[in-house]
Amino acid sequence: MINLPFAQRENIGFQYVLDALKPCSPYGEERVRELKPFEPCQKPELQRQLSNIQRVLTVLEAQSMDGGKANERPRGPVCDLPEMQTETDRLRRTLEQDEGCQKALDKLLLVFMTVKNVRPTALKCLEATLNEIELFEIKRFLLKCDEMLPLFNEIQPVLQLEGISLRDTSPALDLLDPEHNRVASFYIGDGWSGQLRALRREKRELEEKLRRLPDGEEKEALQALRSRVAADEEHEEMRIRGELSAALRPYVDDMLHNMEMIADIDLTVEKACLALRYGGTMPVFTENTLEMTGMVNPQIADAVEGRGKNFTPVSITLEKGATVITGANMGGKSVALKTIALNILLIQCGFFPFASKASAPLFDSMYIISEDLENIDRGLSSFGGEMVRFNQVVRQLDGGFSFIMLDEFARGTNPDEGAAIVQAVTQYLNGQNAVTVLATHYDNVARHGCAHYQVIGLKDLNVEELQREIASRGGDVGVELISRHMNYGLYRVEGKQDCPRDALNICRLLGMDPDILAMVEKNYES
Amino acid sequence: MKPTLSELIRPYRSISIIGMCKNAGKTTVLNQIIREVNGSGRTLALTSIGRDGEDKDLVTGTKKPGIYVARGTLVATASDLILRHCDVTREILDTTGISTPMGDVVVLRARSDGAIQLAGPSITNQLARLREEFFRFGADVVMIDGALSRKTLCSRKVTEATILCTGASYHKNIDTVIEDTAYSCRVLTLPETEDRELRSTAEGLEDFRGMVIFGEKGPWTVPGGLSLEDALRKDEARGARAVFFGGALSDFLMKPLLMSNAPLKGLTFVARDSSKILMKRENYEKIGRRGVSLQVLDTVNLVAVTVNPFSAYGFHFSKDELMERMEARVGLPVINVMEDAK
Repeated sequence: MINLPFAQRENIGFQYVLDALKPCSPYGEERVRELKPFEPCQKPELQRQLSNIQRVLTVLEAQSMDGGKANERPRGPVCDLPEMQTETDRLRRTLEQDEGCQKALDKLLLVFMTVKNVRPTALKCLEATLNEIELFEIKRFLLKCDEMLPLFNEIQPVLQLEGISLRDTSPALDLLDPEHNRVASFYIGDGWSGQLRALRREKRELEEKLRRLPDGEEKEALQALRSRVAADEEHEEMRIRGELSAALRPYVDDMLHNMEMIADIDLTVEKACLALRYGGTMPVFTENTLEMTGMVNPQIADAVEGRGKNFTPVSITLEKGATVITGANMGGKSVALKTIALNILLIQCGFFPFASKASAPLFDSMYIISEDLENIDRGLSSFGGEMVRFNQVVRQLDGGFSFIMLDEFARGTNPDEGAAIVQAVTQYLNGQNAVTVLATHYDNVARHGCAHYQVIGLKDLNVEELQREIASRGGDVGVELISRHMNYGLYRVEGKQDCPRDALNICRLLGMDPDILAMVEKNYES
Repeated sequence: MKPTLSELIRPYRSISIIGMCKNAGKTTVLNQIIREVNGSGRTLALTSIGRDGEDKDLVTGTKKPGIYVARGTLVATASDLILRHCDVTREILDTTGISTPMGDVVVLRARSDGAIQLAGPSITNQLARLREEFFRFGADVVMIDGALSRKTLCSRKVTEATILCTGASYHKNIDTVIEDTAYSCRVLTLPETEDRELRSTAEGLEDFRGMVIFGEKGPWTVPGGLSLEDALRKDEARGARAVFFGGALSDFLMKPLLMSNAPLKGLTFVARDSSKILMKRENYEKIGRRGVSLQVLDTVNLVAVTVNPFSAYGFHFSKDELMERMEARVGLPVINVMEDAK
């Protein structure tokens, strides 16, 4: 089971994605709160949800094109699933000719916004008599269902959402609104029973008399009589409410079904909206290999864009075994790792990954080991905390196919021992039933893994030119210039290659004292 | 001829009633207005700030008049009270989602005459929202039962007109009753500020509890920990004309200010509304003597004061003395509830 702690979900930007979901209905909000990753055995349900997202996304894309906005997503192939491609092409053609479906979907979402959560009341109806306020709430919900059904019936033949249906609850509404007024107020009418009619008439006559009487004994006696009649009326109303609740009981199942369906549609639309906003794609499921092109991490991308820069998309292929990422300081290794972990978790939770192309296996479990997440409160050093966590993970590794992410493991100890530890860990994980990705600074780790990626960093850059630019503009612009010229992309290293020597370049660019620099260079040579 | 209560309130579509104390005759006034509005064939809507309308006064144990409404009246009250303590025939119109300790506030239409109990919202915005909802459901007049002691005040944001109820239950000394009522009237009817810069700044500071000084250099927020008397001497406060108080104007704040020799003459102190003026009468008068004028963002339109010469604690004042002296001090129409009710 995938069970990442809140701090880790937040750290990789998953919580940010959840917060970006803005469901219209209270049922959709409930779904977001209860969202859990799928197990590999639940693949059919996951696939159903994903294909529904694709259908809604096609509608949203058609809409955003109608709006005259430049559509960022090319209307090209959707993914490598031929059935889905055929289905999407059909939908696109239909939507071009008929706008009814899009409008109906908009209207349906507007109705969702006015729906209140009456699930507890519906459940109470199964075993008890509802009071008048609860009956009012049920009636209001049933009225909303009545409003939704024709809209849904307009959408569904076009969209063909899988596993979604709305049930007709008008027989239940007729019980609460026998006169077909279809007004959202609830009143037990005199017509319910002869007894009620008689009591109300009596009460009314007494009230008329009371209105005319001055204060005094006679008035008090009549008031007492009126109170008794009012109590009888209350009693008769209670009996009728009991009858009504019993009559509603067989329809509770339909109501609960509709609540689930509202939640499902609501969340599907929200997920599709996010896919449209950040460029999500329908993933293809594989056995072992994960292949993602152009991945985005919305939290980091929004922050970077806030500073007027662009997020560099991450592309990577991960096989079963350990893949090592190396690269310069400030090169975005951690960003790459977070982006990979986020998109894997998104797929497992029934989201479109934010990537231009995605194929991935489903994992039984997911582990993240990163120093800045370890708990120092337990009296362990950061290094100790990492080791304890790693041991826990190793003990759980038999439990199926895992995804493991290690961010600069053992960085807290001295480089000689650290390198030895990370080499061994890489060797070990390479032989496990897991896809592992780890970022490291240490030498000689990559050759123990099954693949090696490197951050492009300053590799293709003319350092001397940059140095001249920094010198001409004064010392303090170094950081900004480096981050501007840093290439955050990953490239696959074939054959044996060690960590790049970007640290020296960065020291140079940041204006390290020339005397010290000379000594560093001398040390490099020796 | 003195105007009656019903004549005084006739021009208004939303009215609130507040009391100086328990047993000031608030419910008597309310029932009188209910009869009056019903008699004129208009649709009445009722709610309260917090809870009111219990059979017995929960504090003194004296019997209180219940609220008895007529067929057609709209009522907004807590769900628990509807289910347990209302004996009108009910049509449920809406559940508002506004919560109270006795369940959410529900709007209903009385389909018969009968007794009700009120427990409504206690936040100004919710009251204003509810008032609009009442109008949508067809109300002609909206009445809000309030209390002076509660934090929310019926400023003009909520109701167009307000009635203040006072009486012998407030204090056994008639002078205290009159002076304190007169002081409350003065505070309630403080003028609304006409300082545009101050108003637009203050209205953007909804949760702000500090102070802002308006001087030559524009608005300056007094840093936390700096007292007002020290702040007024700073360069940032040069040429200060007004101070906006996000929180309360309390004795705690005013005493050191009055004891200092801070330059106060010509200054205007502006509170959000009169419920934020929490200082004793003597301090209120002292800052007035130092040349400070008090204003508010939202004022109350006080149209009448009602008096109940009978105390719940077993004594009563001479009604003529009370009426005459009260009228002279408050400068507003004064009505004796026990007489007017007949």
